[in-house]
Amino acid sequence: MVLFSLPEPFFTLFQILIFPGLLFALLFVMFMVWYERKLLAKMQVRVGPLYAGGLEGILQPVADFAKLLFKEIIVPKQADRMFFILAPTLMMALSVSMLALVPLSPTNAIANSNVAILMIIALLSLSPLVVIVAGWASNNKYSMIGGLRALHQMTSYAIPMSLSILGVVLMAGSFNLISIVESQKSAWYILLQPLGAIVFYLAALAELERVPFDIPEAETEIVMGWETEYSGINYGIIMTATYVKFYALAVLFTELFLGGWLGPAFVPPPIWTILKTFLVVTVMMIPRGVYPRFRIDQMLKFGWTTLLPLSLINLVLGLVVMNFLG
Amino acid sequence: MTLRYPESKMQLPPGYRYPEGGFKGRHILDMQKCAGCSICAYTCKNIAGAIKMVTVEGAFARNRKRIFPQIDYGFCVFCGFCVDTCSFGALNMGQDFELSSYDKKQLIYSPEQLTASAGSSGLARFIVSRNGAHHRE
Amino acid sequence: MEGGSLSEVTLSIGPQHPGSGHFRLLISIDGDTITKAIPDPGYVHRGVEKQAEYREYLQNIPLLERPVISDSNGSVYGYVLSVEKLAALVVPERAQYIRVLMAELNRIMSHLYWLAIYGIFLGHSTMFMWPFGDREVIIDLAQSVMGTRLTYSYFVPGGVRNDVPEGFKDKVLPALEFIEKRLPEYEAIFVENPVFVKRTKGVGVLRSEDAIKLGVVGPTLRGSGVNADARKDEPYDAYDKVDFDVPTFPEGDCLSRSKVRIEEMRQSIRIVRQVLDSIPQGAFRTKHPSILKPPHGSVYARAEAARGTFAYFITSKGDKTPYRLKISSPSFRNLPAFGFLMKGSYLADMPTIYWSLDYWPLEADR
Repeated sequence: MVLFSLPEPFFTLFQILIFPGLLFALLFVMFMVWYERKLLAKMQVRVGPLYAGGLEGILQPVADFAKLLFKEIIVPKQADRMFFILAPTLMMALSVSMLALVPLSPTNAIANSNVAILMIIALLSLSPLVVIVAGWASNNKYSMIGGLRALHQMTSYAIPMSLSILGVVLMAGSFNLISIVESQKSAWYILLQPLGAIVFYLAALAELERVPFDIPEAETEIVMGWETEYSGINYGIIMTATYVKFYALAVLFTELFLGGWLGPAFVPPPIWTILKTFLVVTVMMIPRGVYPRFRIDQMLKFGWTTLLPLSLINLVLGLVVMNFLG
Repeated sequence: MTLRYPESKMQLPPGYRYPEGGFKGRHILDMQKCAGCSICAYTCKNIAGAIKMVTVEGAFARNRKRIFPQIDYGFCVFCGFCVDTCSFGALNMGQDFELSSYDKKQLIYSPEQLTASAGSSGLARFIVSRNGAHHRE
Repeated sequence: MEGGSLSEVTLSIGPQHPGSGHFRLLISIDGDTITKAIPDPGYVHRGVEKQAEYREYLQNIPLLERPVISDSNGSVYGYVLSVEKLAALVVPERAQYIRVLMAELNRIMSHLYWLAIYGIFLGHSTMFMWPFGDREVIIDLAQSVMGTRLTYSYFVPGGVRNDVPEGFKDKVLPALEFIEKRLPEYEAIFVENPVFVKRTKGVGVLRSEDAIKLGVVGPTLRGSGVNADARKDEPYDAYDKVDFDVPTFPEGDCLSRSKVRIEEMRQSIRIVRQVLDSIPQGAFRTKHPSILKPPHGSVYARAEAARGTFAYFITSKGDKTPYRLKISSPSFRNLPAFGFLMKGSYLADMPTIYWSLDYWPLEADR
């Protein structure tokens, strides 16, 4: 969807900064925050945000962000100052890089890379590093425990996620996301590899530290885990980075399993991607209202002994199906 | 199920009287009936220490010494024992519960302030059925 | 400290922690296992027992109901029973039934509160919102009879302070049906939730011999298979005239303690229905001198509050104030279970065990 033709460098800048880049992503993230609070509220027999912004509290995330801007950034006395302040920025860099690699449609791609999948897996594997840096730099027993738990969790669940992505790559024959979506013209991969979709879904919930896998920020024992000492805009950046990663992983799920921007032509392709992402985001938010959290050893056991074999079985099944389909 | 306070407020039972019972809100003093016997202050002294007898201006038929109770809502626990012990029925409780203020001194209600019978009752009621519980106007 | 390995870390789940209430738990952990747990109560000690010696018997009621505000009738019940025994007051029948009714409604309220807090501490925010919303239904009922929402000052030695208003039965019955319909929903989303079962089954096992040796009371004891309930062992007021069961589960883990409390809610609804059907007419308070001066002597009486057996021991020397008032609260009796159950369990099990014991810091410290 090219609204107007711009000379080349300006068009890329437009894509990076406005659509589908930073501005759109931030607006979508703010909408997602409001949407999650409203969805949870309806499940819990209450109303969510109501007063900020006139209509059903739509400007509540803006109000929260503004409040965080006004708060003081408290750096603990014996914390490692440089890393303490840098860690949220590193997180944001990782999440936003992931954003650049997932295209919303063939003409709305910031970076159409032939190794997009590999780079995304690499970025996902870097996130536990940032978390442990944040936990260590806080100089706090609780943060250390939380950081270690997050490290265990993210590392264990990166492997099933990579294997489920590998199943799709085998079927599509390419690491390029645009080619993967184009190869789903006959059938969406969620029908051909349902196991892979489920494994990716669960591993994504674990990578994002969402309930029921939110043990690293288990409020009741270790206050906020590795995020304990962060206040003010530092914390705002961490929250934004988490939600941007959520958005990026949801778009990835849409393009790997739900056919990306494929659909009847009365709606432009990027809008299809956005609608399907919306659906995926809803399904990922619902477990937050339904399940309590797992214990760390149960969660690790689940990741290694259940998800990993399932993803391997999914690979084998994918090869068998490919053989039959020619 | 959320009550959208303060736009809608709950409907309250009538004020507390002994021995019928009722809602324990801010006290309502009838200065024509009060005889200044100070039993309410004596009862409250060991519970919350909220009632102090003060002298007011004016002429009252039953109250030669012109002493009446003054209630400090920073201390009152709304137990209602003062109402139980008033043998003249002068002290009762009403429906007013919105008593917060910015200043501790404003919480001390003089006898004249206690005669006002403002209420905080609204129109919303709790409707409970097998399907759910809602607040309805 | 002897015998501590080099990698042992001492954590203080202290009073300023979102997971503890006004209570401190000193935990030594080695990796992820708790090696020692020492409870440290006393942060909310207000000297209630000493303050009670300066107040008359009637004036003690607002003081004594405030330690446990989620179940205020249960805590005052033991007190009024012991004062009646001391002063030889005869409670009219109607008052006995009304007291049973209000105590059971308070039991439901307290168990719903416990259920909500258990949910939030395991990360289940829906389970936090639902019971608090449903509790409003019962609080509304309580407000229509007793005038306030949580601390009523309703039970007095000799009966109750005012009668139940007309049309109360028509308000209570729909509320009871509503709660009865909600209980299976709670079970479906929480107690039988696979994640919850995985977290509580086999965790914090208290065998019945250990439970009796430690002296725990209430649902903690009944969740270990011991059938001990003050309402059946020493029936008071109208409890011997209504028909109900005392739920016990033999496993002794956190799951069985949770199931005990949900079953107790069902039995409370059963008791309330029977009381509403068979409540007699009559007076609701006996006449007694406004300043009670019981004769010399000591008396002990206990009642079954929501958290366990609440007992009072009052010594009177003939004055208008008690000479000595000793309170035995169920949370204090359950304290030895902390150190015993947490030793050897995972750090992540700490909130699971803590809240299955239903500890209320204000009640334990008095």
